[in-house]
Amino acid sequence: MPSQPAAPFYEVLKENERVTPALSGERYVGYFCTYTPIEIIHAAGFTPFRVAGGLDSVSLADTLTPNFICPYMRVATEKALRGEYGFLSGLVQGYTCDVACGLINIWKDNIGGDPCHLVPLPYNDNEASRDFLRSALKELIEKLDRAGGCFSEERLEHSLSLYDEIRRVILDLYDRRYEGSLPFSAGDFLTVIQAGYVTPPERYLGLLKTLRDEADHEREDGQPPSIPVLVSGSLVEEPRILEIIEESGGRICADDLCTGFRQWSPATGSGARPLDRVIDRHMRRFPCPSRSRARDRAPLIIDLVRRSAARGVIFLFQKFCTPHLADYPILNEELKKERIPATVFEMEETGIMEGQLRTRMETFFETLGERDG
Amino acid sequence: MDKTKKSTKRLRTAKDLNRLVIDYYLECHEAKRRGTPVGWMPPMNGAIELFYAMDLQPVFPENWSPVCAAFGLTPGNFDVTDGLGYSRDLCGYLRNITGYVHGFMNDESIPLGGLPEPDILLSPGGGCVPVMKIFHILERRFPKAKVFSADLPQVAVEDIRKHHLDYAVWEMNRLIDFLTEVTGHRMDHDRLAEVVKLSDQACALWDEIMSYRRFIPTPLSAAEIGIMFVMVTRQGTQIAVDFLTAVRDEVKERAEAGIGVIDDERIRLFWDNIPLWYNMGLFNYFEKMGGVAVAETYSAAWSLRLDTEHPLEALAMKSLMSYPLVSCVSIRKRKEMVLKACREYSIDGAVLHRNKSCVPITLGQMDIKRALEEELGVPSVIIDADHMDDQNFSVAQFETRVDAFMEMLYEKKGLKL
Ligand code: SF4
Ligand code: SF4
Repeated sequence: MPSQPAAPFYEVLKENERVTPALSGERYVGYFCTYTPIEIIHAAGFTPFRVAGGLDSVSLADTLTPNFICPYMRVATEKALRGEYGFLSGLVQGYTCDVACGLINIWKDNIGGDPCHLVPLPYNDNEASRDFLRSALKELIEKLDRAGGCFSEERLEHSLSLYDEIRRVILDLYDRRYEGSLPFSAGDFLTVIQAGYVTPPERYLGLLKTLRDEADHEREDGQPPSIPVLVSGSLVEEPRILEIIEESGGRICADDLCTGFRQWSPATGSGARPLDRVIDRHMRRFPCPSRSRARDRAPLIIDLVRRSAARGVIFLFQKFCTPHLADYPILNEELKKERIPATVFEMEETGIMEGQLRTRMETFFETLGERDG
Repeated sequence: MDKTKKSTKRLRTAKDLNRLVIDYYLECHEAKRRGTPVGWMPPMNGAIELFYAMDLQPVFPENWSPVCAAFGLTPGNFDVTDGLGYSRDLCGYLRNITGYVHGFMNDESIPLGGLPEPDILLSPGGGCVPVMKIFHILERRFPKAKVFSADLPQVAVEDIRKHHLDYAVWEMNRLIDFLTEVTGHRMDHDRLAEVVKLSDQACALWDEIMSYRRFIPTPLSAAEIGIMFVMVTRQGTQIAVDFLTAVRDEVKERAEAGIGVIDDERIRLFWDNIPLWYNMGLFNYFEKMGGVAVAETYSAAWSLRLDTEHPLEALAMKSLMSYPLVSCVSIRKRKEMVLKACREYSIDGAVLHRNKSCVPITLGQMDIKRALEEELGVPSVIIDADHMDDQNFSVAQFETRVDAFMEMLYEKKGLKL
């Protein structure tokens, strides 16, 4: 059951399923992950739309992809082949992982769209790499304009102000989550976030502000009698997964997820011109494993654990997700050094495997409970 | 048939390869003893030429994996990696090298003396995620090594623009400065020009060798593709040029004399994706039915000619192009390349290795399969396997699929079994 403050976001998602977005009069450009500069897409007159996978079985996608890539991409491709993303004008994606790169190219030839573009992103942060990113973004702008876009610096200024504000409000909610005073569950929070993937930012910001006000009124007092934990990993699309964790005795007080904190922090970049700020924010993002070292991520995650008073970490990975699976042993080792217990769960295509997840979580929380007396 | 088997080689020069491999690893250890800085790097980029031009010793952990597979060291390395908590779904190169450096690295019994410890790590940003992660793991394992965090635009070959090349050249210069600073070796640009010339000569020879595969019967099959070793480890040296010249001469002689890999060549096959390094003998399996693997996708990665007038730009371009050409970064270009090869080499059928270990090369394969059928009428078969892990490979299933496929090709060509 959604809690009251989160209800409008469930509505938005439902509405999105009922009324095809094509009828909304918006022109949508899809993207897979948040390393895509959505402010630029918006400034060019398109509404960014994050492509979803979800729980579904795959058959059509077998004709294009092997079964050993992440379920997210498999299901997303399945839906696209079923025509569910036919309303998208194009697809833009920053180079994150190999699968995202391959899928952009596969969609380009099998599903189509204009533009269908992969933005190469630098791995280093220095003057030359920032210049390079600027050229890469200008190339994207060119492509969007050629596909009927209307980019201008003023428009980017406006788009940035919207998205920066969205990020600020959400980060505010995160602060409350760290204190344990957020009046809704982690499943609700995920729904709040996912509603933003399909909603024009103006409308979404309005909903978020209302949510923040209501959250102020409904502040929960004191810590609930559950064990605070941080979840880290790939994208989690099913609120049910987070609900199971909370039903098993945990309270998600912080996250390092593709569908969570990583896309919000920092809220804004610095620089005189709007493009400088997009670049600066990109460079200073809370790092993702496909673009950084486990060594550099570990201290940041540990900081989040401390800040949110989490008592353990739950790694949630999409099955076959190389960047996350490859970082996991090093992260786990670093957590161990800090005496932070952790457990791991891989999400498969065939469903969330509720029973298995529940058992794993109950055991984990029991151990945490005993450990901390 | 065994799960692990070496291929039968017919070329005289392919046998010389063993000597070359031994010499290379000897040289690596010798360099370490002499105090020449040893740098570990990913393959398929222009850094190798910089290293040779600056008298530094390049070492390729990725190439060490096929060696481990050939010597049967892989399962032991995998055990170590499993024990560290790495998923078995990760690329076999990552699992193999991680196990090796955390396990038997300094064991006396390691063939060829193993790999000398790195003084420098050329840690890539760009290329595939597993290679990037391999180097992150190595950085942690060898904390004393000096790390160069490289950066390279990941862009399809057909989309390369000036700003991509400019950034890649800038990175080349940054790498030269870094190497000078940490090793004291300076870059002599005349020497670099020489090295790039040699590298380009090797590519030209490679192209020429490949062109003889057009002959029917073909004088060279995928079973001998081990010669690629010189392209991985020796590009930019006279050693590569000399070896490839000898191979070219032999292949040319055989082609012109009509000597094929097998006596009765009936079916010409194309191989897509990395071979099964632990079972190169598979390439010979087709032969009992008159089948020869005439061409393969990844050999194209070595035929990139270099603009010798502009050495740095040429190396930057090589870095930008090599990996995308054979992976999902440039599916369209790769498809084009495969179709071209199938036309030029008169291919009857394609064997697509759906490689559990290598997502970037496997993605796009289905598009290639369709294009082969639709545009050329070339049928293909999918083989589910893994380039490093024999646990993901079933010989029986391979044989059944290949037998049925060969029968179909026979029928299509109106041949009798
Ligand atoms: S990072 Fe992982 S979950 Fe995300 S697209 Fe890549 S493989 Fe899939
Ligand atoms: S290209 Fe494929 S085989 Fe090579 S390291 Fe990357 S994933 Fe592994």
